[in-house]
Amino acid sequence: MRGKLWVLVATFLFLFLSSALPAKVSAQKAKTLATPTPVVSPTPTIEPTETPVAKVDITQKTEESVGPLEKLLREQKLGPVWPYNFLKYAIRNSVSAGVPANTIVLLLLLTAVAALIAASRHLIGLRGFGIFMPAALSVAFVAMGPILGITIFIVMIVFSTLFRMITRRLKLRLQYLPRMAMVLWFVVIGVLGILFLAPVIKQPDLKNVSIFPVLILVLLAEDFSRVQAGKSIKTAINMTLETLILALFSFLLLTFSPLQKWALLNPELFLLLVLVFNLVVGKYVGLRFMEYWRFRKLINR
Amino acid sequence: MKTSELLGINARNKLFSYVYNSAKGKNIAASKLKTKKFLKAAGVPVPEVYAKFKNIDEIWDFDWNRLPSSFALKPNQGLGGEGIIVVKRKAKDGNGWITTQKKRVTVDDLKLHATDIIEGAYSMDNEPDIAYVEEYVGRHKAFRKYAYRGTPDIRVIVFNRVPVMAMLRLPTRESGGRANLHQGAIGVGVDIATGITTRAIWHGDLIKFKPGTKRKLHGIKIPQWDKILETAVKAQEACFLGYVGVDVVLHPERGPVVLEINSQPGLSIQMANGVGLKKRLEKVEDLKIRDASHGIKVAKALFAERFSDRVRAEEGLKIVKVFEEIKIKSASGKVVLVPAKIDTGAWRSSIDKSLAEKLGLLDEKNILWRKKVKSALGEDYRPIINLTFWLAGRKITTPAFVSKRSSLKFPVIIGRRSLSGILVDPVVEAEDKLRLVEKGKGVLK
Repeated sequence: MRGKLWVLVATFLFLFLSSALPAKVSAQKAKTLATPTPVVSPTPTIEPTETPVAKVDITQKTEESVGPLEKLLREQKLGPVWPYNFLKYAIRNSVSAGVPANTIVLLLLLTAVAALIAASRHLIGLRGFGIFMPAALSVAFVAMGPILGITIFIVMIVFSTLFRMITRRLKLRLQYLPRMAMVLWFVVIGVLGILFLAPVIKQPDLKNVSIFPVLILVLLAEDFSRVQAGKSIKTAINMTLETLILALFSFLLLTFSPLQKWALLNPELFLLLVLVFNLVVGKYVGLRFMEYWRFRKLINR
Repeated sequence: MKTSELLGINARNKLFSYVYNSAKGKNIAASKLKTKKFLKAAGVPVPEVYAKFKNIDEIWDFDWNRLPSSFALKPNQGLGGEGIIVVKRKAKDGNGWITTQKKRVTVDDLKLHATDIIEGAYSMDNEPDIAYVEEYVGRHKAFRKYAYRGTPDIRVIVFNRVPVMAMLRLPTRESGGRANLHQGAIGVGVDIATGITTRAIWHGDLIKFKPGTKRKLHGIKIPQWDKILETAVKAQEACFLGYVGVDVVLHPERGPVVLEINSQPGLSIQMANGVGLKKRLEKVEDLKIRDASHGIKVAKALFAERFSDRVRAEEGLKIVKVFEEIKIKSASGKVVLVPAKIDTGAWRSSIDKSLAEKLGLLDEKNILWRKKVKSALGEDYRPIINLTFWLAGRKITTPAFVSKRSSLKFPVIIGRRSLSGILVDPVVEAEDKLRLVEKGKGVLK
């Protein structure tokens, strides 16, 4: 069942990443990345008061956020195609054919994010909910900002726990799937509540809320409730916290601009390094960092 | 302790579970009903099953009131003791049962819970599951004082037919009658050789007493220990798995029964025993173990706890000379006087082949394992046997090398491994030595 769900989410994610929706402009970002050469695009006609607050959603294609990366590609001098430059040429060609450079960067960095999550499990010992959940969450954070993402998530958890407590108090004897469907019902009410608050709190991030990041958060909320039902609230909170921490680190990695640029300019080396890193992590059979802590009393004896 | 002695999750999965457990075996272990089937076929006792439910209709068609006064309702693929309802007696007013946690459950509650199980609320990834009702195994009287409203079980790690480590798991108030450590049960380390508990952990911390009482947790003698070990090893053999944790419960009437088998057993057992699991697993990895009784013998020789150390320290250290006469127990139980050299330069004791043969110690049943030895003559497999002897008034049981020592002066060498609590006086008196060498010749003739 979960397998199908993932295919669905992946499809959504793909559509979402590749769709070219209009998004906000960041004057700040444009300023920092601006070069002395004259800018080709027409001067923006937006109000100067609002621009500094708005965030760039690099999962979505905009003229302004595509610009610097594309420019970077254009400035790079390339040698012969084989054997070291074939990906660079492929990227350049597809970008000039209209594929957003942001999407390519995010895809490249996604391999590093997955490697980071795997390593944090095998070298550090953070569990989280598998590997795709934190990775998907980090992309959701990139899209809607981590603060809003976590806020929505906490609201979801609160509502699903509230629902659980209510049904327990009322002794409603519901079967499992309808009960999970009702959890989703409550979660949707909670998220809608946040959106309805938009006119009151005037959080600019709220405009970035689109359905697919919210769906990913719903999935996480479902995982949370499942662990809470099957195991204990403590385990559920622990695993969720670990997932959030992993997602936040992945988010930082995804938005780390020097890494973005380096990966885009050296895709072959970048992919190879990630691959080698995964191989090394996969061969590691020593104690995990958290196990050193867990067994500290035995080790110190 | 060196960190290389400890088993972590990475090493457990990659070096042991993955290498020694077949896909078939993992499949069996993941389903408690399948496990029961294979164990039963191999003659390993398991709790009885009263009813099985594969779909909703079966739940509604079943006459729940026919169930006895005590039973357990369980998910077939449950993890970590989740989703289990255990009832101990019928309610006095006739409406339902009372659980071990003293809560009432009615037929409707049970039906709903069984439906939850079938819908996969407790299985991995919410896959549809089977619910079943099982015999309630009560607490054995030996544990009555130690466990809080639940049945304690004994987790035995079995690898390559050798019971490598064991832990008694005691339910607490907090664990709600369940014997899983992460739910707050107490883990108590057990000496493999004797079945006596050694130390206890609760929430990862060492404790001495049962929480809230002055009841010591070490020094508990677990009854029918050899039977428990044998049951665990047989369970490992029956399920096509090489490395497992077997959960054994002492049935008050039937003795040890196996509750379930785990192909990736938890690692806290190392803290309960204060011993690293990896070192023990490596010791038995390459041994050729014939059957359960051989495996148990090897485990006892290798992993015996040194309880007597404490007693010895109180007695004071014994002093022996370099050459001593020891008493060796032969296979028939007869005690023979043999001259021996105390050699602190050797780790293991060794005994001459012809002497061992004479004493009947080279019987295949007494051979623990064979070890490859490189010598001037090339490679050689030498047997290691179980040797019991008396030195300076102490009974010592130890694994010992069997080698050809006929050209040497002493048929037996006592190595460091058997010398704890003993000091060696290095002064050699020529007369003594000569006398013993002469005797040695006599023994070998």
